[in-house]
Order: sequence, then structure tokens, then C-alpha cells
Amino acid sequence: MQNIFKWNLPQIYTAGSLIHQQTDIISTVEFNHTGELLATGDKGGRVVIFQQEPESKNQPQCRGEYNVYSTFQSHEPEFDYLKSLEIEEKINKIRWLPQKNAAQFLLSTNDKTIKLWKISERDKRPEGYNLKEEDGRYRDPNTVTTLRVPIFRPMDLMVEASPRRVFANAHTYHINSIAVNSDYETYLSADDLRINLWHLEITDRSFNIVDIKPANMEELTEVITAAEFHPNQCNTFVYSSSKGTIRMCDMRASALCDKHAKMFEEPEDPNNRSFFSEIISSISDVKFSHSGRYMMTRDYLSVKIWDLNMETRPVETYQVHEYLRSKLCSLYENDCIFDKFECCWNGNDSVVMTGSYNNFFRMFDRGYRQDVTLEASRENSKPRSVLKPRKVSTGGKRKKDEISVDSLDFNKKILHTAWHPLDNIIAVATTNNLYIFQEKLN
Amino acid sequence: MLGRGVKRKWSCLEEAEVVSEARQLVLGLCLEKLQRYQAGVELSLRRSVLLINTLRQIQEEMRSDGVGSCDVHPDSCLLRDDFREDVTVTCPGCSEGESPPELPSQEANGSDQQKPPAAVSDAVNAMGYLGDLALDDIFEDIDTSMYETSDLPSAWASGSLPQSHSTAGSLQSCLMDLNELDHIMEILVVETHLVGPGLQNGFSL
Repeated sequence: MQNIFKWNLPQIYTAGSLIHQQTDIISTVEFNHTGELLATGDKGGRVVIFQQEPESKNQPQCRGEYNVYSTFQSHEPEFDYLKSLEIEEKINKIRWLPQKNAAQFLLSTNDKTIKLWKISERDKRPEGYNLKEEDGRYRDPNTVTTLRVPIFRPMDLMVEASPRRVFANAHTYHINSIAVNSDYETYLSADDLRINLWHLEITDRSFNIVDIKPANMEELTEVITAAEFHPNQCNTFVYSSSKGTIRMCDMRASALCDKHAKMFEEPEDPNNRSFFSEIISSISDVKFSHSGRYMMTRDYLSVKIWDLNMETRPVETYQVHEYLRSKLCSLYENDCIFDKFECCWNGNDSVVMTGSYNNFFRMFDRGYRQDVTLEASRENSKPRSVLKPRKVSTGGKRKKDEISVDSLDFNKKILHTAWHPLDNIIAVATTNNLYIFQEKLN
Repeated sequence: MLGRGVKRKWSCLEEAEVVSEARQLVLGLCLEKLQRYQAGVELSLRRSVLLINTLRQIQEEMRSDGVGSCDVHPDSCLLRDDFREDVTVTCPGCSEGESPPELPSQEANGSDQQKPPAAVSDAVNAMGYLGDLALDDIFEDIDTSMYETSDLPSAWASGSLPQSHSTAGSLQSCLMDLNELDHIMEILVVETHLVGPGLQNGFSL
């Protein structure tokens, strides 16, 4: 097995509020464009940003550790008085903007409102004012006899997060995706039935570019599940549906992109047809490859790679946990069948990763045609040892170290994973813990 | 000694029974999930749509298999705007005064008591998208983005529906309540149409 599958150096962070001593559920994980920063959002509306320490000269083999850089409350719970419903503060998605100056910017969204946050550092402060004391009190002007020039003195690093824009009141339904355009000026937000296009500077207006709401809501049979902009074609975006289709739209064609330019759909395998066929075909995530040539979709049981030039079927299909196919009825009963797993590409698009149950996550090497199942758990994460591959036994005979399907813990699900854009560093979120693994370099 | 033909016939019947039982189970689960909700929290539209599509698929299969004595077609009901007036809770095949049909997931012998599609379509619609109805047309010229409902009308979501459990009795009373609310909703929509947009703010069920 090649090195890509040897992971160690786990750092484990528990999400939640230190002040209130509560753990929380991580709801999104995202590296920034350089990989130096890693943001997580949780159910309590908080955003925690980790920063990678610079590589130390003592240990050149070891990439820097990630430490907490900034924590802030992004969204608060709100109450919609008109509908008598609570609007959850849970952060559904975070997307970083590329860095343009000293400050960092990210977009975070809950079900209804998107916010642009500025994260800036302050490591100097002015001292020596003429009219103010050091503690801020104003001096009596009569006591000022000389003039001096205030100077900047170093201080302990302070990281401040401030909301710069609030994009609200544009979504009737729950926002499931936000995606920044490659023009770095606009971004899209998608809810169950509509997709809106925003300009980062303008908060009181957005353009509706996709609307699949039927005139008669009783005819509704399909919802939007995810949307993403093409990484380098600023006019192209895709959106996935609950029926397993992906539509690619070109914004140059018309103002309203209800008519797709391409539709990607794989015909159903008649042998695998069941009551739950539609539910398991529902796409939970769609991600373009970094190259822009491919896109990956995640449905309940598999990960599919599509060539953007071929709409009829995916070019690659990877089974994440095929052993669950015979358990669909139980998974339907306990609602697990509605779980939305995300997926991600590594930096050079050669490996894809997605989560599963029992705190397992899977990696598929496209080139070497290899796959591995790993586990994110404290017991299995000793600092020096390499993560051991796991195996689920499907047949009658269970080998040593294998785990049987019936012993899987379906409450331990890994829905969110992220891969560093340039290095082999991964962030894996279990329910309320964040694991950061680095590739073992020999 | 049984002939070969008879053996095959039995296994076919068994298979049909197993499929039918599975269908009933999933049908029951569908209905149970559609009724289960958390007061004060909006339901996931994706989940509701997937559940209702599964329900429709099962109904379709049941109908094509010739199961159930009901003549009412749920799909045509769904398409008609005035369906709520015409469709009764129990289908014509089941006489009035009979005890409500058992929920399939409770009993193994689902063959006698079939869930009437009409009741299903009522549940489907009540739990579904009724909030959006004719309001769109009335308020076309007014920005109604704040008033659009996404899933359930506010009153229902705030707790006026009884919490459902897997019992036929509560399912039936639930459906009856939904019917009453249907009628109230209808009256309100008509009233709004007559009185005008100004009354919108004063509504509360």
C-alpha cells in the first residue's frame, strides 16, 4: 500500500463552549485556500478556527500542529414570529474567501442567513497618547505641558472576528449550500427549492437563478440538495437533487437558469430496485475536482465520479458501505437513511474521502484502485502509531479484528470531512470531536 | 403427494405475501414518520418529499397489484384543488361506522384491513405543502417572501396536532383533526380572498 494510507499524529479537539461546559455537534469543516487555517462550525452557532503552526526546525519531518486561533459566535437562534418556528443557529456551511490582504474572510450560514466574517490579527497597540492615560481615562488638558508622538508597541496577539456583511431574508426554505465563485466577487446560496446569486458587497439584493418550486406545491417531488460553482469557469455551476440528478447550468444562457445545460443521471439498476431506491439515490454532496474536469457526488451508499463531458453515467463508482444495502429497512426505521454524508477530494484529485458509520471513514485512491477504511476514535489514535485499517465482515465467518455489520454503532457517524488543499492532512469530524490526521512521512 | 405445480404455486403465494407484508410495514413507517414532528421546529422539506414519494410509490404498487377495494385514486385527488370537500376519510369500500383499519405495522395480518388510499392522501396533503395554496396568486403584487410558509402552516407546527403514536385510534383522530383544520384553512383562504390582503397579519389559528 502506498504511503497515502498511512496516517498518524492525531490531534483531537472537542467542540463546544468552554464557558458553558457543553459539548456540541460539529456541523461543518473547511480548510482555507492555503490550508493554514481550518474552520469548523457547530450546532450552537459557533465557529472555531484552527491555525497550523509553522514547521519547526527541530522536526522537519513533521508538519505543523493545528491550534485554536479564533472562536466566535457566528449565528444566534432566532424566532420566526410569523410561522411560530425557531430558526436554528446551527452552522450549515462555511466557505473561505481567498486572502487579499492581511485579514481573512469567510462566509458562514445557518438555515436562513449568510454572514461574511472578517478575521484580523492585532499584535501592536498605540501607546503614549497626549490626551489619554494608558488605561483610557482622559487627562485634564491643563496638565498637558509637552507633546509627544504616540508609538506602536507590540502586544500579545489578539485575533478579532467581526461581521462585515449580513445577507438575510432571501431564503424561504433551508439553506443547504453556499459556494464562492471563481471571480471572487459573487457567491451562490441554495435552499431546497431556489438558488440565489449574491455580490459580496451587496446585502440588500440577490438574484434568483434557479427556482424549482412548482406552482402547485402538491406537485413537488424533488428538492435541491447541494450546489457548487465550477472552480475556474465563473459562469458554470451545478446543483444536485433528491432524485439523484445533477444539473449543470450556464449563467450566460439566461438570467434564470431553470433550463439546465447538462443533466447528469445514471439509469437505475433494475436488480437493486427497492422501496428505498429513491431515498438512497438522493445526492447529499457534490464537489468539483480541483482541476475542474470532474465532479464527485455522494449518495447514501456510494461515491460517484463524473466526467463533465459525459452525462449518461459516472466514470467511477465507489461503494462506501455496500453491506448496508440489506439493512435499508432498519436504517429507514431509525432515520439513518436520511443522513447526509459529505465527500472531498485531495489536493491533486487522486484520492477521494467520505465518512460512514461507527466513526469509520473511507478513502478511495483512484489511480491505484485501492480503498481503505479507517476509524476516528480516541482508543485507536495513539500519537506515534499509524491508523490501522478496519474491515466490516459481511459473511457468516468473522475474522479477528473485523467488526460485524450488526455491531456497528449508527449513532457514531462521520458526516463531515476535509482534506488540506496542498498537503496530506485531513480533518475528520465525529459527532462532537474533530480529528486532524497527518500523513506519516518516513 | 403434492405435484410440482402445487409446490410452485405455494412459493409464489408466500413470496407475494412477504412482499405485501413488507409493503405494509414500509407504508406504516411512512405514515408514522410523516406525522411525527417536533413542535416549534420546521420539518425538513427534503425528508418530507422523500417520504411522500415513497408513500406514493407504495400506493402505486398496491394499486397495480389490485390490492384494496377502494376506487378512489389518491393521485387525482392530489391534483384537484377542491379535493378536500369531496374525499372522505374512509374510502367507499369501507362502510361508515366500522372500526378504523389497523395500522399495518401493528398487525401481521394486513390482508383484511387495507389502509384506504383516501386517508393516506389526506395525511399526505395535510402534512405536506398546503400552506402555500392560493396565497401566491392573491398577493402577487406584494412582496410575500416573509409570509411564505415552507412546510406546515404555523398553527400546526406550533402544536395543535396531537403527538402521534403507532396506534390506529390516534391515527384516525389525527386524520380527523387534519380534516377539521383543512376546513378551517379553506374558510380562511376564502375569507382572505374576500376581505383582502390587510387581514393577513391578524391571522392566528
